[in-house]
Amino acid sequence: MYRYDKKGPKRGVALYSYSAEFGLTKNLEECFEDVHDMGAHGIEILANTHIENYPYPSDEWVENWWRLCDKYDIVPVEYGNWIDSHVMGGRDLTTEESVAMLSRDIRLAHRLGFTVMRTKMPVINDKLEPVLNWREIIKGALPLAEKLNMKMCPEIHIPSNLKGEMVTNFVDFIRETGTKNFGLNIDFSVFRTNFSKGEWVDPNYEANKPEDIIPLLPYIYCCHAKFINMSDDFEETTIPYPEIIKVMQENGWDGYLLSEYEGADKYEEGYEVGQTLRKQHIMLKNLLGD
Amino acid sequence: MERQVIQSVGFRNIAENGKITGFQFKIRLPYYRGVFLSQLRPGTLTVDGETFGKDEIVWNFCSEDYTWEEMTTNYDQHWAVTKPATLKVKKEGGLKQGFHDLTYGFCFTSSYMPPVIQDHLDPDSENMVFMPEFGHHVNSRRLLIV
Repeated sequence: MYRYDKKGPKRGVALYSYSAEFGLTKNLEECFEDVHDMGAHGIEILANTHIENYPYPSDEWVENWWRLCDKYDIVPVEYGNWIDSHVMGGRDLTTEESVAMLSRDIRLAHRLGFTVMRTKMPVINDKLEPVLNWREIIKGALPLAEKLNMKMCPEIHIPSNLKGEMVTNFVDFIRETGTKNFGLNIDFSVFRTNFSKGEWVDPNYEANKPEDIIPLLPYIYCCHAKFINMSDDFEETTIPYPEIIKVMQENGWDGYLLSEYEGADKYEEGYEVGQTLRKQHIMLKNLLGD
Repeated sequence: MERQVIQSVGFRNIAENGKITGFQFKIRLPYYRGVFLSQLRPGTLTVDGETFGKDEIVWNFCSEDYTWEEMTTNYDQHWAVTKPATLKVKKEGGLKQGFHDLTYGFCFTSSYMPPVIQDHLDPDSENMVFMPEFGHHVNSRRLLIV
């Protein structure tokens, strides 16, 4: 397995960025090669998208997965999973059933070489707060996560604020349990300062300053380097990347920044998300040195 | 696999014991991730103005048939974005040779999305806010039976 021994922030790609193409004009190997073209190593996959015959891939598929990681110098970093206790309309899953679903994903993530999970839970209100038994579900899975060296991380994303209640609740849980197997994934949309004229913005949204991330760094195991608009001069025009990266480097953060493009225009005829990703990676490579 | 939700490959009449008993068509999941069967909300099929409700449509995944009721409690079988599902409809004599206009509606739950969207899912009409990574609920296509 390829080892990327660099310390500090490292770049990678969330394969969700290829959503408009995956299964149609790009297969998994082509996504891997695209990442390799950019000189990047880290990837995030979505369990329910990129794993053939999920949740029961064959041994042959898994062996091929490892062969592709070796061929393209890929480091599996983050496994995107859903603990969907609302998967049935008729009733919620019990805590035990939710833990079973989560455990299945922890085992599969480990089998594919991942060390971090971007764990999504059902939400109960429009502030995106998770189901009331989230602590019991996570606690139920912590022993297995510890055994398999897996760090489960909910993603903190616009309109949430790094100083808000949801993040505080997660940090309180981490401190109370002392766990090293539950943490945070920060999506850089929380730092977004520029919006287009007429673009809808959640009235509750308040942009975080880059230094707001500092107290959370010990709990952050992976980040989504979100980008909205890359100029042809290789600058992100809505999120202050140079400042964010400087803060993370100066505070000794070690981990991956996985670039993610959520833009609806990637579904438009002729849009080439690979070219947009390359622009971001030129920017990241210049800021990170590698 | 074609970009359109209703695939042209897989549209044909079904014969059982030498008689045409119905027809089938294939659809792909236009979502950015796969779903478990219990997340599906099958809707109405219209072919040349004739409607078929969800009780009249059988879904087939990996060679196994499921009624919509069986799917509501099945959160073990997963529908991948890369594998179209086959939908089978009983109709004596099937569809005549020639052009047919198909319109089919279906959607699925996404529990990490806010209730303001999730509480108003209707397979036969579009979401109030269209997001391309979720796809359209209702899709149409004009196809030929030989």
